[in-house]
Amino acid sequence: MNNSSLSAIRGQFSAPKVNEIINDKKLPGDLAMWFFILAELTVFAIFFIGFAVAEQLNTEMFVTSKAKLHPIAGLINTIALITSSLFVALSVRAIHLGKVKDSLHLLVISQLIACVYLVVKVWEYQFLFSLGIGIETNTFFTLYFLITFFHFMHVLLGMVILTLVGLNAKKGVYENDISGFESGASYWHMVDMLWVILFPLIYII
Amino acid sequence: MAYGRYVMGYFIPTYLYYLTGCNKAMITVKQTIISWVLLISLTLASVYADQVMENNVLFIMSVLLIVFLKGQQITDIFMELREAPKMWRMLLLSYVLIIPVVICTIYLL
Repeated sequence: MNNSSLSAIRGQFSAPKVNEIINDKKLPGDLAMWFFILAELTVFAIFFIGFAVAEQLNTEMFVTSKAKLHPIAGLINTIALITSSLFVALSVRAIHLGKVKDSLHLLVISQLIACVYLVVKVWEYQFLFSLGIGIETNTFFTLYFLITFFHFMHVLLGMVILTLVGLNAKKGVYENDISGFESGASYWHMVDMLWVILFPLIYII
Repeated sequence: MAYGRYVMGYFIPTYLYYLTGCNKAMITVKQTIISWVLLISLTLASVYADQVMENNVLFIMSVLLIVFLKGQQITDIFMELREAPKMWRMLLLSYVLIIPVVICTIYLL
C-alpha cells in the first residue's frame, strides 16, 4: 500500500477538529424527551381538530358559549405562560455559562409566574361553576373543560419537572452534562406552545 | 468543574465556545428577550384583531397566521431548535404550520 492511499485511509478515520465538533448541530436535551414531546403534541392535535370540527357542526352554540368565557383571563394566562417560558429559556442560557445560582433564580421566577396561570385558571373554573356551568352543560363546555384541564395538568407536570431540575442543578448534577436541564426546559416550552394554539382557538376565533 | 455539553460523544466545555468564537451559533439572551417582546406583541395583536375585526375569513386567517409566527418563535428561540438538527426543527415547525392550516380549512368548509 503506497503512502497516498495510507494517508487517504487515515483521513477517513481522523478525529474531528474542535471547530467541527462545536459547530455540529445538537438537539437540546435528551432524545427520549423529544419523542415524549411529539407524542404529547399529537394528542393535543387531535383535541384541536376535534374542537374545530365540533364548532363547525354547532356554530350557534359555540358562539353563545364562548361569550360566557373571560377573554381577559385567557390573555393573562397567555402572557403568564410566555413570560414564564422566557425565564426558563434565560435559565438555560445561564446554565450554559455555568452560572448555577443565576439559573436557579431565573427558574424560581418562572415558577412564580406559572402560579399566576394556575390561580387565574382555577378562578376561571370557579367563575363558570358559579354561573351554573359545568362539564355537562353542552358540547362546547365539555370540550372546554376537557382540553383546558388536560393542559392544566400538563402545566402542573411541567412545574414538577422544573422543580426537580432545579433541585438537581443545586446538587451539581448538571456540572458535566446539562441535557437533563435542557429536557425539562423543552417540556415547559411545549406546554407554552400548546397554550399559544389553545388560546385563540377557544377564546378568540 | 466545567459546564458544557456532549457533542458527537465529545465533552465540549462552554468556555470553548467563547474562546473559539463558535458561540455565534448559540442563541443569545438579547435574541431571547426580543423573541419574548414579539410573542407578547403578537398576542396583543390577536386580541386587538378580535375587538376590531369581524369574524370573517380574513380574521380567522390573521389569527392563525399569528399562531404560526408565535409557534415559530417558541420553536426556534425558546426551544433552541434553530441550532438543532434540521429534521427536529422541521418536525416542530411543521406542527405549528399544519395545525393552523387544518383548523383554517375546517372553519372555511
